[in-house]
Amino acid sequence: MPSSNPLPPKENALFKRILRCYEQKQYKNGLKFAKQILSNSKFMEHGETLAMKGLTLNCLGRKEEAYEYVRRGLRNDLRSHVCWHVYGLLQRSDKKYDEAIKCYRNALKWEKDNIQILRDLSLLQIQMRDLEGYRDTRYQLLMLRPTQRASWIGYAMSFHLLGDYKSALNILETFLDQQQKGNNYDYEHSELLLYQNMVIYESGDLKQALMHLESCEDQILDKLTLKEILGELNLQLKQFEKAAKYFEELIRRNPENTTYYSKLIQARELTKPEDIVQFYLSLADMYPKANPPKRLPLNYAVEEQFRNLIDNYLRQGLRKGVPPLFVDIRSVYTDKRKVEIIEQLLLQYTDALKKIGKFSENEVNNGPKEPASCLLWVYYFLAQHYDYLQQTEKALMYIDAAIEHTPTLIELFVTKGRIYKHAGDPYEACKWLDEAQSLDTADRYINSKCAKYMLRANRVKQAEEICAKFTREGVSAMENLNEMQCMWFQTECALAYQRLEKYGEALKKCHEVDRHFSEIIEDQFDFHTYCMRKMTLRSYVGLLRLEDVLRGHPFYFKAARCAIEVYLHLFDEPLKDENTEQELNMENLAPSELKKLRNKQRKARRKAEQENAQAAQAQVKREQYHKSKQQGDIEADAPQLDELVPEKLAKVDDPLEQAIKFLQPLQNLAQNRIETHLMAFEIYYRKEKILLMLQSLKRAHRLDAANPKLHTCLVRFCRVLNQNKDGLDPIVKEVIEQEKVLLFNNKDAIQLNRDYLDTYCNSLEAVLEGAKMLYYLNPKLQSTALGLVTNLDNKYQDVNIKVCKNVLRSLKKGDFGQCDSQIEEFMTRCQTLFLHAVDFRSSSSTSVCESNHVPPDQDNYSSN
Amino acid sequence: MTREQIELGNVTPHNVKLLRHLNNVIFPVSYNESFYKEVLKVGELAKLVYYKDVVVGAVCCRIDTSNGARQLYIMTLGCLYPYRRLGIGTRMIQHVLKLAETDGDFDSIYLHVQVNNNEAITFYKKFGFEITAVRRHYYKRIDPSDAYVLQKLISHKRTANEGHKTKENKKKF
Ligand SMILES: CC(C)(COP(=O)(O)OP(=O)(O)OC[C@H]1O[C@@H](n2cnc3c(N)ncnc32)[C@H](O)[C@@H]1OP(=O)(O)O)[C@@H](O)C(=O)NCCC(=O)NCCS
Repeated sequence: MPSSNPLPPKENALFKRILRCYEQKQYKNGLKFAKQILSNSKFMEHGETLAMKGLTLNCLGRKEEAYEYVRRGLRNDLRSHVCWHVYGLLQRSDKKYDEAIKCYRNALKWEKDNIQILRDLSLLQIQMRDLEGYRDTRYQLLMLRPTQRASWIGYAMSFHLLGDYKSALNILETFLDQQQKGNNYDYEHSELLLYQNMVIYESGDLKQALMHLESCEDQILDKLTLKEILGELNLQLKQFEKAAKYFEELIRRNPENTTYYSKLIQARELTKPEDIVQFYLSLADMYPKANPPKRLPLNYAVEEQFRNLIDNYLRQGLRKGVPPLFVDIRSVYTDKRKVEIIEQLLLQYTDALKKIGKFSENEVNNGPKEPASCLLWVYYFLAQHYDYLQQTEKALMYIDAAIEHTPTLIELFVTKGRIYKHAGDPYEACKWLDEAQSLDTADRYINSKCAKYMLRANRVKQAEEICAKFTREGVSAMENLNEMQCMWFQTECALAYQRLEKYGEALKKCHEVDRHFSEIIEDQFDFHTYCMRKMTLRSYVGLLRLEDVLRGHPFYFKAARCAIEVYLHLFDEPLKDENTEQELNMENLAPSELKKLRNKQRKARRKAEQENAQAAQAQVKREQYHKSKQQGDIEADAPQLDELVPEKLAKVDDPLEQAIKFLQPLQNLAQNRIETHLMAFEIYYRKEKILLMLQSLKRAHRLDAANPKLHTCLVRFCRVLNQNKDGLDPIVKEVIEQEKVLLFNNKDAIQLNRDYLDTYCNSLEAVLEGAKMLYYLNPKLQSTALGLVTNLDNKYQDVNIKVCKNVLRSLKKGDFGQCDSQIEEFMTRCQTLFLHAVDFRSSSSTSVCESNHVPPDQDNYSSN
Repeated sequence: MTREQIELGNVTPHNVKLLRHLNNVIFPVSYNESFYKEVLKVGELAKLVYYKDVVVGAVCCRIDTSNGARQLYIMTLGCLYPYRRLGIGTRMIQHVLKLAETDGDFDSIYLHVQVNNNEAITFYKKFGFEITAVRRHYYKRIDPSDAYVLQKLISHKRTANEGHKTKENKKKF
């Protein structure tokens, strides 16, 4: 349907030129032509021209005017598909996809066969996962352009994504049948066949998939994938001999790929550990340079055989000086006996190397001496070994021996830092990482590690400065790291701020991480057309599926958990207004103190002013930077999101709603982590939503009924039910009655807690939660509760730094009421248990420790 | 012990602190800031030695024209204790000798050692150095404070007609 207000030929020609300018990104020229039309009084209100002018303005970053013109254009010509299309494009550029879809649909009402609009619509539909809509649009595109390959593939894929494999395969077959048969098969054809095979495979018809692949084997150019799929299909179809052949071939191609080995084991139907070890040993003979056939049997061998194999493996690694040797071996540490054997061997190496330069004293007379660096690597291994076993003093002894032996090996300083970190002293840890970093300032890995340790020690500024060595010049490191989506850094920052109780800053970082996930989902957009054109369909489907579960990534979990914790805290203890706070304090002060306080306040104010001025300057710079960037890359002018202002974030009105926003993706994508449901409970508990609490508890209960944190939730829920007994809706009541059996065995809160304390009396972690609830349910039992958690006798099997820190935090938080003297006693006791852990030192000594950031004393490792 | 395990590497602003660590444990005297600034500028005259990818030694030289002659002065040449007698010293001294040779314009190479440092003396003698002088109280804070001057004359200093080549080479360090 043509515009309701057609232009005469001259103006129409100009209009066409506007369109061309838009396509060729000559926006300034476009505006000129628009002006020529619009300055003619007859066409001043010409809808399509106004709309195009708006769209062009949008590309120049003049968003507000753009909306104004496009809307005015549309109002003047509501029946123009151009106006609607333009309005859709404008909304799309602002990521308002739902709105854009509506506009495209309106446009199609007036011009139902417009290919461009249909294509744009289909892109939005796939982006929004409106799969049915996508299928319908792809159908129309196929009808309009039946000769184009993309039409067929897109239509087939829409069925594939909907799980309608049969239709998808029919379409693919019809399309492939029409293709000219020849023997000049290209890569794209090969990919298409592999895609077809993927669809058959997913339909569940493995036999058919195998037949299909075998029949077109010679048309497939990606031989590696071909063999992998053939091997896998045969394996799943239990055609073991054939499968074995493929995996043997694959190992020959790449003997470092560990999965080929386990597939071959399946194909050979080996299940007994002895057989598996034997299998690896024979392959080790065939591929003497490959690592997997040497490393993997260590997982299966036991006792003497294990001793022999690990002896060889360790010697080889130590001789070569393989830095990650310990990390490589670490996974066998789950077996206590293996740990013993490894320890024995390493102690033997130490003695023998010191005495005769060999791995064993029995070898005095045979062979040459081992390399001089062997002893170093043995010390290094032992340090990590004892660190893993939480034997801090031994670990430190060996790492110091290593440093004395070779004070130039940077890994040693990293390990020394890690030992301190595990021992609970993030400040000392940070000091050693800084030392490591300073020894090779061109090593980005060490640099990042150092930054991370600084953040663990709550030194955000310092961490930023360290990172700045590798970030782009001219921008603040913080900003550049955000731009680079450096999520580990931002999350660690958030956690540091959380510990420092700078809640606004913490939230800012969490939101930044969340935005990265949105950005990654946005970035998908470009692939919808690109992948279709390049025919990389399997990767494309893989991408779509990845994007669907993107926020299931642990990075998101970590940031979301931090945000939720902070929001819960802000709900429990909203930030107080600073002024009233101070007034209150001043009332109780002597005049001299008041004067001091005033002085201090004045200084603080001056400092704050300075900081604000600096911040303002930085802001100006930032804006200039963004502007310059926008001009360079006009297409990518993403809508400017609200700036994240820490002060505003911390003064949130609806912390629980905000927390729910972070929670929801976890409920969909991290439902296997009990923390998700425990956090959900904490939110709904505060919102007093009984059924949602129940839902969270049920989900958590299903994952781990004995979880200590879950226990406190159950007890509190019990009490909530009790308190609301009469006010509950009968239907709700009925539901709850049913669930009570499963969740509480029909016990009341007190009984539930008593039984829990009895059952898990060996675990301090569990007793902590039980004792908390003991006090919660009956404050008179304070001393019993305190006794349970502060008497660290040997009945508990989990007295470690982490649990003791949790006890301390809980005591300090007031979970057990007022108990200052018990806190002090507990800290003293823990200090003797964990010599290096700073959390148990009295507050005066920690502050010394924090400020005591000097580079390590050089005398520390002067040798001979 | 194969020679490929020993390699030379540059001293750069990124790793100069490793050189400090080395010198602090190898030598009884400590070197000041200007020493470490200088070694960053002398190119091939300062080298780290890697043994199986670990830094275990270093050599730092300077060109000395103070007494009328053009001499190559070895300021430090040392190797961590556990890595001695493996040919690392040899590798360093060979590097120095080669430098002197390709430069072609040095009269001699020399250095100071504490008079009781027999290992070093044996070592240098093996490469043709000779004790040419004793400097009383050369060292300030260590005992014995006397030093020997060990020197090796460069046998075939280039003749004048090869001079242009010399200049070219000199630019490298
Ligand atoms: C001197 C020094 C650099 C030698 O380094 P090194 O790596 O052990 O030397 P090499 O292994 O290359 O030894 C070459 C030869 O020197 C001789 N040599 C070196 N150290 C010796 C020792 N302690 N005793 C006897 N001979 C020795 C040997 O002939 C040796 O050859 P060999 O091992 O085949 O018998 C080392 O001992 C050192 O760092 N010392 C402390 C620093 C110092 O004093 N430097 C000199 C002042 S600048």
